[in-house]
Amino acid sequence: MASTSRGDALALPKVQCPNHPEALLVEDYRAGDMICPECGLVVGDRVIDVGSEWRTFSNDKAAKDPSRVGDAQNPLLNGGDLSTMISKGTGSASFDEFGNSKYQNRRTMSSSDRAMLNAFKEITNMSDRINLPRNIIDRTNNLFKQVYEQKSLKGRSNDAIASACLYIACRQEGVPRTFKEICAVSRISKKEIGRCFKLILKALETSVDLITTGDFMSRFCSNLGLPKQVQMAATYIARKAVELDLVPGRSPISVAAAAIYMASQASAEKKTQKEIGDIAGVADVTIRQSYRLIYPRAADLFPPDFKFDTPVDKLPQL
Amino acid sequence: MEPDNDVALDIIITNVVCVFKTRCHLNLRKIALEGSNVIYKRDFGKVLMKLRKPKITASIWSSGKIICAGATSEEEAKLGARRLARCLQKLGFKVKFTEFKVVNVLAVCTMPFQIRLPEFTKSNRPLASYEPELHPAALYRIKDIKATLQVFSTGSITVTAPNVQFIATAVEQTYPLVFECRKIHI
Repeated sequence: MASTSRGDALALPKVQCPNHPEALLVEDYRAGDMICPECGLVVGDRVIDVGSEWRTFSNDKAAKDPSRVGDAQNPLLNGGDLSTMISKGTGSASFDEFGNSKYQNRRTMSSSDRAMLNAFKEITNMSDRINLPRNIIDRTNNLFKQVYEQKSLKGRSNDAIASACLYIACRQEGVPRTFKEICAVSRISKKEIGRCFKLILKALETSVDLITTGDFMSRFCSNLGLPKQVQMAATYIARKAVELDLVPGRSPISVAAAAIYMASQASAEKKTQKEIGDIAGVADVTIRQSYRLIYPRAADLFPPDFKFDTPVDKLPQL
Repeated sequence: MEPDNDVALDIIITNVVCVFKTRCHLNLRKIALEGSNVIYKRDFGKVLMKLRKPKITASIWSSGKIICAGATSEEEAKLGARRLARCLQKLGFKVKFTEFKVVNVLAVCTMPFQIRLPEFTKSNRPLASYEPELHPAALYRIKDIKATLQVFSTGSITVTAPNVQFIATAVEQTYPLVFECRKIHI
């Protein structure tokens, strides 16, 4: 809680150390002194402390800090808004005769950015549904702000742009989510999100890395409850399959799903194609198609140290 | 390895879209009632007329603007458009065949090799875009000739451009890029 020293416009006499006029003075707020760092001389004393008046000792942090008023400011995204809102009252005095609340008018704050604030709320809602960390939400907000300020996509629905920004943010952070996963938490169709995605990339002049099969392995496998061994085997299978180019033209998601199917069928934890298709968002015929492509080379695709519960030749052939 | 320039690639034009104006107001209802092979799309405000001889579908608006699609070459498109104008003339409208312009040409070309799309996208970063979740082909746009190419992993390439000359240019420009990312059979 250091007190801030602001440079005044008026030419007030600056305190300086007599021996070291160039040295920047260090403030010691506890004693209220200004000390020269070179020689330790106390130059100015009785400095008024502008910290908080009482120290807050509370066991639960950030429950109710009496020295703070209002929400934490988000100046990066908001543009520094300091207006006051009248909240709904509590207690009986705030309601008039008929039961309506007095002071109904909550002053509209920052009407110019109202749509943007709405979008931020929507982004937070969507991200909470799939448990995304704060850094992705922040990145999404930043992307949305950039797109919104550019106004090149002004005609598109804000929700669609928000969903597409969320998709891009997940990609950029290295933890891509499939379009279908974003669709599941948004009301916008996959087609529209895809369109907005391409438009945003063009508007912001960025590009994203291609998705790989390994990005989705940990999520799909833990959702299915597969042990670590199976997950590692599936990752290896998918990577090998793409390296050997056994599955040209297939979406990496389908290849990942087929690899998980093969790995789970070779281990003790067998999962059906339907279950995997449910989690990955691919149709089970798609898994079947990709599985047929990797089945002939199954023996080469498994990692060398894999423990087979069902040997390679007994793997189901679809 | 130098790309083999002597290999002749077959570029097959599958669709030519053109527009022309008749310079006179057309009564869509009359065309719909008296014309043969017509479909009246009232909510879109246009009449579709399909011709058999050059296999062409035309959208006719009441303002006199006509879009003609389905031809397999530029000359055929002009022929079909003229035939269409003649048809309308027979129905009694004072049509003039003006402002004929070929708007879009779609062509298909097959490479004798398969293509590795992730490699192709990486080496042509801003111009190429590949989203396997959305579309199985990589999109490659050439700005100055306004051509869009869809590159498939099987080796077939779809090109759309304003005219046939640009299509040839686009294929010539893209061939070396695609040749570098070809799949070599083991």
